[in-house]
Amino acid sequence: MESIVLTINGKKISCQEGTSVFEAAAKNGIHIPSLCYHPDLKPYGACRLCLVEDEKTGRLFASCVTPAARDMVIQTDTPRVLDHRRNIIRLMMAEHPESCIVCNKGNRCQLRRIAADLGVGENDLYPMPNYRSFEQLNPFIVRDLSKCILCGKCIRADHELVCTGAIDYNLRGFRSRPATAHETPLEHSNCTFCGTCVSICPTGALSPKNAWYAGTPERQASSICGFCGIGCALDIGISGNKIVEINPADLEETVNRATLCVRGHFAHDFLNSPDRLTAPMVKSTGENEEPAFNEASWDEAVEHVISRLSDIKRTYGPQSIAFIGSTKCSIEENYLFQKIGRAIFQSENIINMASQNSGAQLMALDQKTGGSCRVNRLSDLEKAPAIVVLGPDPDHAAPVLGYHIKRAAKKGATLIVIDPLPNDLSLFAGQWIRPELSKNPNFSLTSLINGIAAELVARNGHATEFIENHTLDGNAYTEGLNAQDPEAIAGLAAVTREDLKTAASLLEGKKTAFVVGHTAGQSISEAGFNALFNLSLLTGSQGGKGTGIYLMTEAGNGMGAFDMGVSPDRLPGRHAISDESGRIPLEKAWKTKISPDPGLSMLRLIEAAENGTLKAVYIMGENPLRKLPQPRRVKNALKKLDFMVVQDILCNQTVKLADVILPGAAFTEKAGAFTNMEGRIQNFAPIVSPPGQALPDWEILALLASKMGYPEKYTTIEQVKQEIRRLVPMHADLGSHRQGWLKNNGLESGFRFNFSPVDIPGPEPAPPDPNFPYTGIIRGLRYHLGCGTRTSRSERIQSFQLRGQIEISPEDSQRLDLSEADRLRLTSPFGQIERGFRINTDMTVGQIFIPLAYNQNDAMNLVDLCESPTSGAPGWMVCRVKIEKNETSGEMP
Amino acid sequence: MEPKAIDWDQLHVIIDKHRYQKWGLIPLLQEVQEVFGYIPPASIEPIARAMKMFPTCIQGVITFYAGFSLKPKGRYVIRVCRGTACHVKGGRSILRMMKKELELEEGETSPDYQFTLETVACLGACFLAPTMMVNKNYYGKLTPPKVISILNQYRKPKPTESSSPAKEADDGR
Ligand code: SF4
Ligand code: SF4
Ligand code: SF4
Ligand code: FES
Ligand code: FES
Repeated sequence: MESIVLTINGKKISCQEGTSVFEAAAKNGIHIPSLCYHPDLKPYGACRLCLVEDEKTGRLFASCVTPAARDMVIQTDTPRVLDHRRNIIRLMMAEHPESCIVCNKGNRCQLRRIAADLGVGENDLYPMPNYRSFEQLNPFIVRDLSKCILCGKCIRADHELVCTGAIDYNLRGFRSRPATAHETPLEHSNCTFCGTCVSICPTGALSPKNAWYAGTPERQASSICGFCGIGCALDIGISGNKIVEINPADLEETVNRATLCVRGHFAHDFLNSPDRLTAPMVKSTGENEEPAFNEASWDEAVEHVISRLSDIKRTYGPQSIAFIGSTKCSIEENYLFQKIGRAIFQSENIINMASQNSGAQLMALDQKTGGSCRVNRLSDLEKAPAIVVLGPDPDHAAPVLGYHIKRAAKKGATLIVIDPLPNDLSLFAGQWIRPELSKNPNFSLTSLINGIAAELVARNGHATEFIENHTLDGNAYTEGLNAQDPEAIAGLAAVTREDLKTAASLLEGKKTAFVVGHTAGQSISEAGFNALFNLSLLTGSQGGKGTGIYLMTEAGNGMGAFDMGVSPDRLPGRHAISDESGRIPLEKAWKTKISPDPGLSMLRLIEAAENGTLKAVYIMGENPLRKLPQPRRVKNALKKLDFMVVQDILCNQTVKLADVILPGAAFTEKAGAFTNMEGRIQNFAPIVSPPGQALPDWEILALLASKMGYPEKYTTIEQVKQEIRRLVPMHADLGSHRQGWLKNNGLESGFRFNFSPVDIPGPEPAPPDPNFPYTGIIRGLRYHLGCGTRTSRSERIQSFQLRGQIEISPEDSQRLDLSEADRLRLTSPFGQIERGFRINTDMTVGQIFIPLAYNQNDAMNLVDLCESPTSGAPGWMVCRVKIEKNETSGEMP
Repeated sequence: MEPKAIDWDQLHVIIDKHRYQKWGLIPLLQEVQEVFGYIPPASIEPIARAMKMFPTCIQGVITFYAGFSLKPKGRYVIRVCRGTACHVKGGRSILRMMKKELELEEGETSPDYQFTLETVACLGACFLAPTMMVNKNYYGKLTPPKVISILNQYRKPKPTESSSPAKEADDGR
């Protein structure tokens, strides 16, 4: 591209060909007012406020839609230009209702600011307010379209950034307004309440609904969203010591740019919940009395913890204590936590509750790629020629990832979605493969992936050159594929052979990004993951930018918690615990011995509590009672413990069982860093203070370590960071700057990727139990994260219309003779729950969808607490159920 | 009387005819409008899916053009011209009279789906002002008696009469 020189306001400016005059000016610090321009949106030219004057011709034009041309001489603020701008604002104001003082948009209103800048005060035009629908029944967004200036930003953000298509212009001329399909209220449209349009709207036409606080933030600060593994950068509005408003941060190079999702935008009101823990508490142990919690000082509480844990260790040995860390706590906190567990208490039992699904996959990928694929940027994903999505619907689980995938598909990437449930990406997909789990209860994702691979080889569509130059055992693998019976494979995959052939034809010759979700843990076993890695080699996708395997992590710091070794079989830096090369340097640094044996898995941990070999548990920021299957069993197990410490921010079911409660701080109240699913390490700083006596979790851990007489004193977070940088080279970038990246290992020259042998699951003919005729698929909706401990403390999320209704096909609903108000009882071999229902015409017959996180996450009653022996991944997201109408509820006369 | 139930098979034939056509949306909508007399709102979603577009975009196109309607219209759509030339020649009283005769306001459809009354900005036949259209037929140099007689041609035949109004309309010109 050529560069162009032009003059703006007497200043010589050079820019690339194709740059608009507006952007050329902005890059050189010349500000032109605008209402419809946004750097991430296509130029639109609707507001005309960015008018500038061409000195040579005297022409006025909108600078945002005019490309800079050679030798232009532009003036941005001549009296003529200013006059026109003022007139435009006067006209807008004449149509505007006079409600600035009570407008929710407050100081974020750009119309008001520009009017003030231009000196447009009292309006001398005849006011012609254009009254329009006012809508505020949903708990998130207030729409007052009489304040709309038709800049089209909301629509363009909705179409170009989040790709939902919930709104578009309706009608034309004076009557034109952004509208949903059939002009329904937002809650009856496909709007996801991501709030992206609210943040981008320059006026009060769209504003957040703050039932819990009305007013204008006094100050702004940036932070990182603490919910999912995307780690969106936030701009937080604070009033006093309270978080009152959230918008996407206006910073360079953020993962989310101008977008957010409903959780990030609206669910952070949990931070102000009355259920926040504010003081350390110790359960009284007096005889014959009901146990009660008494407030204690930090010294008392921590000393009590130390004396009880030390006693237990002395009496029953170190393996009688377990440490459950948290994907919601920072990198530094997780590092300290496992260090206390391993180095001070010598326990092997260090775990975080996602270890067995996303953790296993993360570690397998690291090992197979020699640590060369730790950083997978979402922005690169938009350049991938093809994308295969497996597992949950990213548009729900990690919405910003969903936006990236949809944008890629809109730009022309081939998209294949593999999902038994209706999926918001399918509108964009070239192919939607829907395994019918109800038809084959022995559904095998491994077979599905192998099936696609086999068809790819059969049509000679694999990347032969890549395989030759960069892999080992390619021939053995393709021969293994050829030896399979394609029909049998399709049967195991619960799809047709045609499906597999179509997928192969779509992937032929394309380097592909495989996006794998955490609840794919339901069926992606070690064998499944190996098959997927093989397919990524077969398509030549490893080692490329934006291609290869993208693993989703569920919680904000899922990646960071693993990388810090909060896992029964991994040490900080992803070293297998049995591997001396990782263990010995840590032993030296910590001046201790580390056991080479892996600790207890989650299931074994519960069993150990049940049979009394486990005596004490220290839980930091986790709620196993809500998260694990079979909550009653888990509760009884934990009740058997001699001692339980829970360090958390919200009072929850698990906290109530504790002997000592330590109130920690939320991410807005402390310093630390999270690693997101891309491998991006992001720092956050305290922007408000913790409630009451609550302390940042790392300070609590530092206090504990120091009171145990541990020689290292951690008085600043920087000391912890320094230790991590020194001992965990992949985290060398963990500093004080806003963001850094995990370090990839450089590959030795001649490195070759390994194919794993083709693994064909033997058909296990376990006929489905006729007593449980339906297949229930349990997974999350975008309104909650994970089991919903935090999101369910958001008033706005709680008052939204969804109450955990199951979704069912019209045919099944007819067969069961359901009518609208019916409550249903779902029974699986493991438990029972009660739910309302919604008919979804996109559901397959025999299959129902059960949303996670509602009603104290009672859906976990339906699945077994188990460990599938071959993969070590819990198989807890698909269940067989029977459905009955609950005649007893409702108390009809 | 209810408008005709939507013939989904016919709708899908129309959709399939245009779905892979370049710039196929407008011709598709035109055909639906032509065949059904309106664009049934329930057809927006299937059209959107086939065209791989957002339903809101389809709706935006439909509501932008005056030629598309989301509401079922009468068998005869009467468009009275409210352009300048017709106004000067008394177009306003023609409209007033039409409203009274049909007992309809602008944009309304009679309960028996016989008539829809609309106005337009100019029919492009100013030399014949005041003008109106009934479906595709133009009528000019209107006077009150002429309006009555035109309307009578399109009114539903009384049970005793047997001749078709459309035929009469052709004869009447
Ligand atoms: S609602 Fe806001 S963003 Fe949307 S067009 Fe109106 S003023 Fe612009
Ligand atoms: S909240 Fe999000 S999905 Fe809903 S209209 Fe706005 S941008 Fe679209
Ligand atoms: S929940 Fe995830 S996608 Fe949503 S705002 Fe937070 S980090 Fe972003
Ligand atoms: S910013 Fe250029 S027209 Fe609105
Ligand atoms: S003004 Fe009526 S036809 Fe032109």
